[in-house]
Amino acid sequence: MKSEKDIENLERVMGQLDALHIEISQLAKKSPNDGVNKFKLKLINKLIGTANEVLGDDYRPFSEFNLFDEDDLPTNSDVTLIVGQYLEQCERFRSDNIEYFNYKWYYVLGGKRSKVLATAPTKIGGKK
Amino acid sequence: MLIRPRLTDHFGVMVPQAELDFAIPFLNEDIPLYLDPFLLWRSPSQQDQALHTSLINAFNHLGYLAKQGKDEKAIGILVSASECDEVGLGSSLKRQGKRIGKAKAAEILSLFKTMSHYANRGFRHFEEIQFFVDGISKDRISDISCSFLKSFLIDFTMDQCARLGIPTSPSRISDVYDYRKNEFVVQEGVSVPVSPVDGKPVIFVPKRWLRFTPWINYNDYFEHHCPQDELSHAAEDLTRVAVLNYNRDHYGVVEDYVSAKERKFEDCHNNPLFSQIPITSARRKLALIKKLPTGKAGNADRIYEDTIGELLPSLLYPKLDFADVQSRTDSGVSIRDLIFYNSRTDQFLSEIFKDYGSRQIVMEMKNVAAIEREHIDQLNRYLADELGKFGVIVTRHPLKKAEFTRTVDLWSGQRKAIIALTDSDIDQMVEVFESKQREPLDIIIKKYVEYRRACP
Repeated sequence: MKSEKDIENLERVMGQLDALHIEISQLAKKSPNDGVNKFKLKLINKLIGTANEVLGDDYRPFSEFNLFDEDDLPTNSDVTLIVGQYLEQCERFRSDNIEYFNYKWYYVLGGKRSKVLATAPTKIGGKK
Repeated sequence: MLIRPRLTDHFGVMVPQAELDFAIPFLNEDIPLYLDPFLLWRSPSQQDQALHTSLINAFNHLGYLAKQGKDEKAIGILVSASECDEVGLGSSLKRQGKRIGKAKAAEILSLFKTMSHYANRGFRHFEEIQFFVDGISKDRISDISCSFLKSFLIDFTMDQCARLGIPTSPSRISDVYDYRKNEFVVQEGVSVPVSPVDGKPVIFVPKRWLRFTPWINYNDYFEHHCPQDELSHAAEDLTRVAVLNYNRDHYGVVEDYVSAKERKFEDCHNNPLFSQIPITSARRKLALIKKLPTGKAGNADRIYEDTIGELLPSLLYPKLDFADVQSRTDSGVSIRDLIFYNSRTDQFLSEIFKDYGSRQIVMEMKNVAAIEREHIDQLNRYLADELGKFGVIVTRHPLKKAEFTRTVDLWSGQRKAIIALTDSDIDQMVEVFESKQREPLDIIIKKYVEYRRACP
């Protein structure tokens, strides 16, 4: 990450992915096999497109997956699976770009610790 | 050769029945619906009500003629009115019906003389004649109505043809009721579509006027209003003629029935040619399919075909209009197909028409454990001409690799596409049918896209 704008983009996309994951997981529990309608799919694809930009090639969960194809009729469980993977990778990306200093976590911008505070990585006790 | 061809299919009009204002006539048979004059009476439209008034006036004019001693003329008009082949409603397999005889017409006209109510006031609903004259039923009521309204129906047809671009040709139409002269006349040079089968003119009927049975009908009267005990203590002795005779002597009973039906007019609706099964019923059918074993034991194949035959037309409506279930034999094997009209309302359906020439879509049902080579060959042989080169096998399990490769090879060699819908696809179709999140047709599109990705 190079600027505070990148931090903002990352945090926004993670928040949105998280909300989407909660929403679609509930639908997937009720009817996993049900198709996701075209309106939702458009928004989901927009979000995944943004996530792809933020994560870059190194952190994208699957190199062969880019966006959902409307004709493939993705189901609730398909979307839950993919969004879950994106969430994990976003967190890995974030964890790799924060640094612990003086009992606090800070984002690292351009290889240097910034003044922007971050939450702890989920793997070492941060909240999911 | 198209299965159960319709006029619009012949002229390449790509609109499904649900979006049209008229019932699409079949080329070779009648539409199994009837014009119910009560629907005109109950319509909120002033035009429909006025047409009902003119219909009743035309019918009551026959009584006027009879009372004037012009029985022969009245009989002639009624006989002419008793059949209206141009509209093709009813149950005939040849789009041709028979008129009533002069004796029957005289019997109907006698009501204007023998029954004081009609002699003094005429009819309010001429369907009442079924309660007094034997051999008059829904088809005759429908035909008489169509004949007296034919002039309006011609205008309606011309308007619809102009809107949809259905070709017309100047035709001679007999027995068009002239409201000014109060008699039937012949009209020459009327621009209506003609049947490509026999060259006869075809007239459309608004589907808002059509029902399977008229609102006022004999069976309903007999079951719910006729005091059967009063007529006979032994049910088996109660003949239709006895009821008709009773009605003649007890007009009040008929009048009460008609008044009751008038009061309940808000319940009277037109019947669509096809109505979807409800979601709960679709779920039940899916559960039945899932429980069925493969093969023929316990008639499982027949049950599978019947259940799929009820399920798919509902799932795919209104994107695809259902044409017919067709049974055919190939190499001694009995095969049942579902045939759909390709209304081309969807981009995918247009593509199927363009790429494979499918004017109709054939879906072959196979309740087998695994699709074998000969099953694919059977469908392959059938995919030709109007049916096009796109086919669907509805079966229980996904195709084995060898068979799937065979379908891909068919595309490579002959540009024919065969896709398979399995239990899990049907499950998903029912799921989206219920949730309304996507169209069940999207599952077929998904299978086709998957198939095409596998093609070279």
